[in-house]
Amino acid sequence: MVGNGTIQTKALCKTYITRQRKGIFKSTQQPVEALKGVDLEICTGEIFGLLGPNGAGKTTLIKILTTLLLPTGGEAWVNGFHVERQANQVRRSVGCMLMGERGLYWKLTGRENLEYFGALYHLSPQERKKRSNEIITLLAMNDIADRTVETYSSGQKMKLAFGKALINDAPLLVLDEPTNTLDVPSASELRAIVRQLNQQGKTVVYTTHIMLEAETLCNRVAIIDHGQLLALGSVSDLKSGLQRDQATHFEGVISSNAESAVRSLPEVLQVSRSQENGATCLTVVTSAGQSSLAQLIDTLTRHGALLNKVTSQEPTLEDVFIARTGRTLAQDTRVTI
Amino acid sequence: MNELQANLSAMWASTRMRLVTISRYQGQLVSEIIFPIVFAAMPILLGRASGGPNAEDIFAANTGTRNYVAYMLIGSSVFSIVSNAFWHVAYWLRREQEVGTLESLYLVPTERSWIVAGTALYSAIRSVASALVAYLLGSLIFNVNPLQGEVGLALLFIAVGLIPLYGLTFVFGAVVLKVKEAGAIVNVMQWGVSFLMGIYFPVAIFPPLVKAAALLFPPTWMTNGVRSALLGMGFFFGKWYLDLSVLWAFLLVVPLVGLWTFTRVETSVRRNEGVGQF
Repeated sequence: MVGNGTIQTKALCKTYITRQRKGIFKSTQQPVEALKGVDLEICTGEIFGLLGPNGAGKTTLIKILTTLLLPTGGEAWVNGFHVERQANQVRRSVGCMLMGERGLYWKLTGRENLEYFGALYHLSPQERKKRSNEIITLLAMNDIADRTVETYSSGQKMKLAFGKALINDAPLLVLDEPTNTLDVPSASELRAIVRQLNQQGKTVVYTTHIMLEAETLCNRVAIIDHGQLLALGSVSDLKSGLQRDQATHFEGVISSNAESAVRSLPEVLQVSRSQENGATCLTVVTSAGQSSLAQLIDTLTRHGALLNKVTSQEPTLEDVFIARTGRTLAQDTRVTI
Repeated sequence: MNELQANLSAMWASTRMRLVTISRYQGQLVSEIIFPIVFAAMPILLGRASGGPNAEDIFAANTGTRNYVAYMLIGSSVFSIVSNAFWHVAYWLRREQEVGTLESLYLVPTERSWIVAGTALYSAIRSVASALVAYLLGSLIFNVNPLQGEVGLALLFIAVGLIPLYGLTFVFGAVVLKVKEAGAIVNVMQWGVSFLMGIYFPVAIFPPLVKAAALLFPPTWMTNGVRSALLGMGFFFGKWYLDLSVLWAFLLVVPLVGLWTFTRVETSVRRNEGVGQF
């Protein structure tokens, strides 16, 4: 190991060999680079957010860190253990929630699921029971713990999947979009539990599509896209880095012609387009800050745009994401393999 | 708990978990008892309809026993054990992959071989119990004595034959993991092996090459051992202990080949797309 972080990666690469189907009998092999030399260090005791659209490479990175995949290049250590050479020690030291409700046995009860995974994590029968009871109490699942999982709502299944990640009481939690399908109060409750576990000393790696969640929960975030790490730092550092590169939001009827005109301005760094309530929203990141606002409005209106609203406010993590990737988190960059 | 105790405990937890799950699918258990009886009933009734008055003598001349009813029931019961072994282990891997739980099993420190062994133990308990009930019930229906001959020796042949049989399913489990297609592979295997093990006929009537292929499969020795012990037919090598020692040899070799193949395929799958992709 080369540092003191809970997770360290050095030039981590992953290339998949995919098969391109051409008709009934023909197919060709094509390599897809999912990770392109990722260097990362996640410190002990932090909540670390991993942000990226679908297909950016974050799931591949997480799967390598949890030993599900072997890298094609580079190296990674988790809790001081090498992911390839000491895979079992890595597994012992990580609690994972990776595929949500799909990782559960639906014909077993919630309690039976927890106790079964407790056995697979090498807990003694007494420890399994004790730990399962603690988790059921922590997640307020006493009423449903002895019902089969198939009778649970989606949110209850997600809660149980989160509970499964806690069964081995590992120092590192890897949570892949844990609030997916949870209602607002349940998601907020789960985030509070994550914070509480973090305060008790657990390191948390957290992936999410919800920027506000990352902003409120994470100490540091990494933005990953097309297999590369585009930004890494605390939320406030990333946002203050954008102060100079001001983000402005335009809302109204904006043609692609007007958008192209804005893109061609020399001080414009990134432009992202989305739809909200039937109106087009354009987020423009410039290197000239407020001084370019008049020129932006002029360019848009000259090219036929009808603007309802122009806002230039404190940048959000979403703006940082747009500035780094050129699109919103909702846009899919997945490569189907 | 030391490492071995922890792995054994995880293996038993896998067995127990699957027994609990199947207890919630009671219709499946009933069907497993009915199938071997139906499978045996077809040739028994065909034999009665077409064999004529000296059918038993003709059958005895070819097989060494006049009791064709018990012969068929034993064949179909052992076949149900073999068939279940392939479905419960090889198909199980595919099913876990499709529903998403296979990745969860790759996140834990228990080696997969222990979890698969736990599944094999569950399968053995389930399929031997249902095969025994099917055999007893079939004997009752067709009015033959199920407990003739050397019952203990027959059970010994089943017990020793189960381990290489499950070793074989490890190999096919690995193939399923790699090619991601369970139905066709398991179907071909279960019918191929059932044909070669002589579910309805003695392997002695095969042409030499097919007979040699049949003798490479542990279920062939298991079926013949059980039939010979219960019905007094001849063992392949004349003595029961010689046939049993062949099964012991399979027991030592096949599980190791199965484990080796499984581990190799597992690493290859992790090196490319991972076990979660299906």
